[in-house]
Amino acid sequence: MKIALINGSPRHKDSASAVILQMLKRMLAEENEILELYCATPAFAEHDLKQITSCDRLVFSFPLYVDAIPSHLLRCLSQLEEAYSAKAGSKPAVYALVNCGFYEGSQNSVALDIIKNWCHKAGPTYGQGIGMGGGGMLLAISGVPDDKGPKRIVYEAIKTMANNILAGASADNLFVSPGFPRFAYKLSAEFGWRKAIKENGLKVKDLSRRM
Amino acid sequence: MKLLIHDLNEEQLSKLIPVKPDDTTVISDDGSIRHCLGCFGCWVKTPGTCVIHDNYADTGEKISKCEEVVIISKCFYGGFSPFVKNVLDRGISYMHPYFTIRNGELHHRRRYGNHIDLSVWFYGDNITEVEKETAERLIHANAINLDCSVKSVGFVREIEQVTV
Ligand SMILES: Cc1cc2nc3c(=O)[nH]c(=O)nc-3n(C[C@H](O)[C@H](O)[C@H](O)COP(=O)(O)O)c2cc1C
Repeated sequence: MKIALINGSPRHKDSASAVILQMLKRMLAEENEILELYCATPAFAEHDLKQITSCDRLVFSFPLYVDAIPSHLLRCLSQLEEAYSAKAGSKPAVYALVNCGFYEGSQNSVALDIIKNWCHKAGPTYGQGIGMGGGGMLLAISGVPDDKGPKRIVYEAIKTMANNILAGASADNLFVSPGFPRFAYKLSAEFGWRKAIKENGLKVKDLSRRM
Repeated sequence: MKLLIHDLNEEQLSKLIPVKPDDTTVISDDGSIRHCLGCFGCWVKTPGTCVIHDNYADTGEKISKCEEVVIISKCFYGGFSPFVKNVLDRGISYMHPYFTIRNGELHHRRRYGNHIDLSVWFYGDNITEVEKETAERLIHANAINLDCSVKSVGFVREIEQVTV
């Protein structure tokens, strides 16, 4: 079976989307042919389109932007819709891993519905989606073993999806929030913004600059 | 001030709005927009402005200067068109990076004090009932996220049916 793992973050490998996709990749049996691609610009190369449309499963992993799909990925989906409409034959099953900056995994549910609606238009079958909160944390702890600590809850959800991918099965979307308290997530994210702005030679009060 | 964000071409727009009112800022597709790189530079490098130098870097500031935002977008899978979505992605400096709790969920704090009434028109030949439902949910989520009010969400087949 040919499975495409498509990373839709413009931050390429330094992204939570990549951390999540690698967790999934480690669970997919070795006899499968895995195609790893980035969708970090507003168009797929012709060669990538050909490869993608020859796959039995597509997995999109991407960040939530303004409650929905990042615009460059949306352009690529539209391009992929055209490619499928021009191509006869069987269509793949589609799975989506969406991560967001806020805490609650449920905030990704509209983005997953957009992917599902895309499937209806373009022809593929919608398999399942996972909405994950606290994406920044996943990136920060990328070195932690997959099934340990705050990563465990994400690991369990991805494991369920991996089984569905292998079986080509459809199932309800899953939503997970970080495995530690919301106030702690809020504090550490805000500490991160203060650190980042100081590293750029600005002051903490510049975070609140008005134009 | 009023802000209009749309994906129409010049001819379509001039049919809809023959003379642009003085109090209205319009964001149109001039073909040059670049996509968000996810760098958060608009929060920690040049706070309030996007770091990409094209005609859309000041989108967050434009949103901060109005009381009304009107969006006219072709409906794509129950969401905005790529251009309109691109503008919104490039405008997140409208919000402050810090978090607050709204609607029982984590969201961003305000950077500015302006309050926005949001009207959205989705157009397209065959917008399905499911897509309409998704779009309504999207606009509701956007309103919580941007801490604004939804004035209306409309669906039309033809652009001429839009009233602004
Ligand atoms: C333009 C833009 C819009 C965003 N909008 C949201 C949002 O609506 N809700 C949310 O929870 N996070 C939002 N985020 C945060 C990202 O989803 C979050 O940082 C994510 O972990 C990035 O994933 P990546 O590392 O895979 O790119 C936004 C980020 C950017 C750059």
